[in-house]
Amino acid sequence: MKFWEYLLRIDRRIVFLLVGLSVLIPLLFPFRIKTNVMPYTQKLFDVIETIDPENQGILISADYDPQTMPELHPMFIALLRHAFARRIPVLVMTSYIQGPGLAQQGLNQVTEEFNARAQTNQDSILYGRDYVFLGYPPLWLAAVLRMGSDISQAFPADYYKNRTASLEMMKKIKNYNDIGVIISIAGSAIPQSWVIYANTRFGVRVGSGATAVTAPDFYPFLQTGQMCGMIAGLKGASEYEYLVSTKYNLTGATPATRGMGSQSIAHLMILLLVIIGNIGYFATRRKK
Amino acid sequence: MNQDPWIWIGAFLTIGILSFLYKENPFYRFCEHLFVGVANGYAIAVTYHLVLTPRLILPLQGGNYWVLIPMVIGLLYFFRFVPRLSWLVRIPIAVALGFSSGVSIPAIIQADVIKQIQGTVIYPHLFSNWQQGLWAVLIFIGVLSTIFFFFFSREHKGVLKPISYLGIIFIMVGFGASFGYTVMARLSLLIGRLQFLFGTWLGLIK
Repeated sequence: MKFWEYLLRIDRRIVFLLVGLSVLIPLLFPFRIKTNVMPYTQKLFDVIETIDPENQGILISADYDPQTMPELHPMFIALLRHAFARRIPVLVMTSYIQGPGLAQQGLNQVTEEFNARAQTNQDSILYGRDYVFLGYPPLWLAAVLRMGSDISQAFPADYYKNRTASLEMMKKIKNYNDIGVIISIAGSAIPQSWVIYANTRFGVRVGSGATAVTAPDFYPFLQTGQMCGMIAGLKGASEYEYLVSTKYNLTGATPATRGMGSQSIAHLMILLLVIIGNIGYFATRRKK
Repeated sequence: MNQDPWIWIGAFLTIGILSFLYKENPFYRFCEHLFVGVANGYAIAVTYHLVLTPRLILPLQGGNYWVLIPMVIGLLYFFRFVPRLSWLVRIPIAVALGFSSGVSIPAIIQADVIKQIQGTVIYPHLFSNWQQGLWAVLIFIGVLSTIFFFFFSREHKGVLKPISYLGIIFIMVGFGASFGYTVMARLSLLIGRLQFLFGTWLGLIK
């Protein structure tokens, strides 16, 4: 019976080591896992597929910071790839003060990736023509409400201090009427606020990219149709990477997909530890 | 192995934070304090460049003196540190509260209450598809029984007892789903850090 008692007293550091190894080994020796796309990820993908690039753009709000970056940054990259592959005009903003640097990094990465393959000026992704980075607005709520009537009033200057109204893309995109969908990528309740202030008030479609922790909070909004789709956690990000890369045959780093092997093995390890702990508990309880 | 000194700094700080898993230590505390300091310093710099400069300094230089009004209201926050005049801090708080309440209350009632009640109501159209109908009934039962569980002005006995017990089951299922998602989230963060350490820094992950 001592064995079972030992199982109940495993040092937490051994548990950390086991979980750490179950994450690390699949990263060093990767293997492929079949991607099953969840309905809400597919829905968001389909919404972007239905947007007419001639008439509408999309707004991606990078509402995250370095703490949630591993889960959310791959979503941002995958969404940018999708939009650029379809030549949909992209507006990017952030409601987090630590967000502008991450958003800029993501935009640079994806534009460089597309421009490396481009043959002509038309193939290239150009700032002001194909995308605009609005930056971080003071008093986010006021900006969101103002964008309903005029985006260039909410953001008189973009992140790079250009006059927003003077940019080529902004001549087509004036307000939410010209936005096909807003996607808020956040590790907090910000997507819910986008639903409250942009969807309810102006009728613009809102989707979300959420960390796994916050994803359950948004299911009621998906069920009522207030949100048009959701990318949930690293798994959601890998599903979106899969959808975009298979449809548009895009090559490029897919960190979420690479992480899914670790995610699966680590989950199995946690399940195993929980089962062992429970067996130990019941075995020692019977003795008492 | 990466030659960029910033990557090396990032790697050592990551190891410092992860060292807490072994036990509390000065290396971890240094990294933690540095993170908080850098995050605040970064926030101040971003606020200056992306908020104060375009919204206050440039308009003032351009002759737009209307921005002095919100500036003065904002500066009143600092009277918090002057005991005799600390009452002045109520003015910016009142403006902020008034604005956010006025904008938020109707919108939240519409989005969080009315739309959610609509989403719970069962109507014949939902049964055009049996799966959709089944989920609608399940949501209806789940919402009602959960609300019954939180109905504390009456003792949970008689009819209330099984309904509130059913509510507990729904709550537990919700907690279980949240916990599963939370485990996934924490592992994702670990994956991100290990990808950085063993990929970006050491170059062992291609």
